[in-house]
Amino acid sequence: MKFLRNLILSFVFAGAMTLTATSANAGCGKVHLGDFDWDSANIHTAIAGYILEKGYGCEVESTKGSTTPIMAALFDQQIDIVTEVWRDNLVQLIEDNLAKGTIIELGINTPSSTQGFYVDKPTADKYGLKSVEDMKSAEIAALFADPEAPGKGRMTSCISGWTCYTINLVKHKVYGLDEFYTNFDPGSGGALDAAIAGGFKKGKPVFSYYWTPTGLMGKVDLVKLEEPKYDQACWDEMTKVVEDIKANGPDVYKDTCACEYVNMSLTKAASTKFASNAKNKPVIDFIRAYSIPTAAVNKALAFYMDESGGDMEATAKYFLSNNAMWKSWVPADVAAKVADTL
Amino acid sequence: MEKYKKFIKPVIYSVVFVFFIIISYRSAKPRYKPENFTDIFNDFSWLGNWPKWLDFPLMQPLNAGFDWLIVKYGLFFEGINNFLLGLYTAMKNSLVGLPWPIVIALVIFITYFASGRKTNTTVMVAFCTFFLGFLSPRYWDKCIMTTCIVIIGMLLCIVVGIPIGIAMARNKKIRNALLPILDLMQTIPSFCYLIPGILLFGLGAVPAIIAIFVYAVPPLIRLTDLGIRLVDKEVIEASEAFGASRKQTLWGVQIPLALPNIMQGINQCTMMSLAMVVIASMIGTRGIGDEVLLGLQQLNVGMATEAGIAIVLLAIIFDRITQSYGEKIQERTQQKKDIKF
Repeated sequence: MKFLRNLILSFVFAGAMTLTATSANAGCGKVHLGDFDWDSANIHTAIAGYILEKGYGCEVESTKGSTTPIMAALFDQQIDIVTEVWRDNLVQLIEDNLAKGTIIELGINTPSSTQGFYVDKPTADKYGLKSVEDMKSAEIAALFADPEAPGKGRMTSCISGWTCYTINLVKHKVYGLDEFYTNFDPGSGGALDAAIAGGFKKGKPVFSYYWTPTGLMGKVDLVKLEEPKYDQACWDEMTKVVEDIKANGPDVYKDTCACEYVNMSLTKAASTKFASNAKNKPVIDFIRAYSIPTAAVNKALAFYMDESGGDMEATAKYFLSNNAMWKSWVPADVAAKVADTL
Repeated sequence: MEKYKKFIKPVIYSVVFVFFIIISYRSAKPRYKPENFTDIFNDFSWLGNWPKWLDFPLMQPLNAGFDWLIVKYGLFFEGINNFLLGLYTAMKNSLVGLPWPIVIALVIFITYFASGRKTNTTVMVAFCTFFLGFLSPRYWDKCIMTTCIVIIGMLLCIVVGIPIGIAMARNKKIRNALLPILDLMQTIPSFCYLIPGILLFGLGAVPAIIAIFVYAVPPLIRLTDLGIRLVDKEVIEASEAFGASRKQTLWGVQIPLALPNIMQGINQCTMMSLAMVVIASMIGTRGIGDEVLLGLQQLNVGMATEAGIAIVLLAIIFDRITQSYGEKIQERTQQKKDIKF
C-alpha cells in the first residue's frame, strides 16, 4: 500500500511540477517547498523561495497540488516546507502528525484570515441578507437557482479535495441549508474563482464559499454571512464528524454542533526529517520568522493579478522591494544578498 | 512585373513584423524601456536577456475582448446555455428515471440493430453496461450523466463537423483557411477554454459540452474531408459521364463512398468526448469523472482505479456501437474486398 501511495503521489507531482534550480551554495542544499492551488499560497512560496534561492543559495524546488496530496507528501517527508497551512481546517490531521513526530510547526504566516459563506453586495442589500438564517427560504434560493438541480439554489463550495468541502457539507446540514441549496463542488480552485468572477461580470447573484487573503477579494464586493459564533468545543465536535465523513463517506453523518470558521491564523510547517538536520537550521529559523500581514498579502496579490502579467517571481520581487519587514527575518548578510538582486 | 511577384509575400510579412515590434515597444511599461529610443543602438546589453520591452501585448486586448463578449453578448450565450442545458436535463432526467434493467435492455436493443444483428458485439456491450452499475451502484447515475453529455456533445460535433468537412473537401481555399484553426483546437491546452467557458456559461454541464465540441470536432472534420477526397477519381468521372450534377455526385457517390471514413471520424469523436468529460470534472461537471478526481484528491487509489475502469467500460460500449454500425454501412455500400494470400 505504501508503495502504491508513493507511486500515485509521484504521478500527481509529475502532473504539476515546477522546477527552479540554481547553483547550490555550500551552506544550503536542496529545499523542496509545497505549494497549493490558490494564489495566497503561491505568493508565500514565491517570496520564501526567492529569499532561499538568492539569499541562502539553496536549490529550491516547488511542487503545486491540492491540499490532500501536498500535506500527505509533507507527512511522508517528501516535501520539506509548506509556507501556508490552513491549520484549523486540518486540526485532526495536524495533531495526529505532530503526535507521531512527522512534522513540526513553525508559527504563523498571515495573522487573522477569514473564510466563510459570501453573497454579493447588491443582492445582499436588496434582500437584506445578513446571516445564514436569512438564506433559508425558497424565494431567496430561487435567486441562486442551480440549473442542474431543479427547485434548489446553488452554493459554490470548496473543491472536494479540500477539507472545507466536508466542513461546508456538515454546516449545510446543521444550519438546514441543505434543503434549499446544493453544496456544489466547482472541481478546481481556478473554476471557483471563475464562477465568482463570472457572476459579477454578468451581474448575477453570487452565493459562494470564499476566503481572504485573495487577489479576487480585492476586486469584487462580497458580504460575509453571519453564522453562529465560533466556539472551541463546538468546532472540535464538528471536526470529529468531518474527519469521520472524510474517511467513511457522507452516510456516517451524525447530528452535531456547527459554528463559523474561526478568524484563523495560517501557519507554516516543516517535515521533521528536514528540520532535524542541523545543516538546515538557518533555513528553519528564517521560515519561523517569516510572517506577512493580510493587507500586504492582498496588495501583493493585486499586483500579481493586475500588473505582473502572471509572473510570480516579479511579484515576489515587487513585495521585497516595497517592504522592509523581511529584513528582520534573515541575518544581515543574507538580506544584503537578496537586496543586491532586486 | 511578373518577376517581382514572388517578393510580394515576404515584403508583406516583413512589414507586419516591423509593425508588431513597434507596437510592442510603444505599449511597454516606461520602466522597462530604455530612456531614449537611440539607446538601443548604443547599449547592446538588451541582447543578453530577452528585453522586457520586446513583449507583444496580447493579454490585455484578449482580456478586454473577453469582457466585451460577456457584457455585450451575455444574452446570446445565455440562450445557448439554456438550450443545451434543457436538452441535457431532459435527457438525463428521463434516463435516470427509468428502471436500470430497461436502460440495459435499451442499450442491447440499440446495439443489436446498429451492429446488424451481431450477437457477439451485443453480448459484449450488454455485459459492459451491466458492469457499470455492478462496479458500484453509485456509478450508474453518474455514468448516465456522462453519457448524456457525451451524446449531446457528439450530436453538436456531427451537425457542425460533417458539413464543414464536406466544404473543406470541395474547396481548397476553405481547407487552407480551416486547417490552422483545427490545429489550434487540437493543441491548445483544454484549460484555456474550460475556465473562460465557466465565465460564459457558469459551472456544470454546458462548458463541458462546449469543451467537447472544441476538442472532439477536429478529427471528425479531418476524416470527413479525407474520406471525400479519397473517393476514386474514375468513379466521379463515371458519374459525371452519366450526367450527374455536382450535387448528385456528392450525395449519390461521394458521401456514400466516404461513409466508412466518416463513421471512423464519429467513432474518434466519441472517444475524445469521453476523454474530455473526465477533464471537465475539474470545472464542476457532474459525472463519472468526478469520482476519479475525488479518488485522486483523497489519495484513494482503489476508488480512482475503480472509477477509471468504469470509464473504460463506457468507452468500450460507445466504441463497439459506433464501430459495428460503421462496419454494417461499409458492408452495404462497398462490396467486400476479400484479400487473398
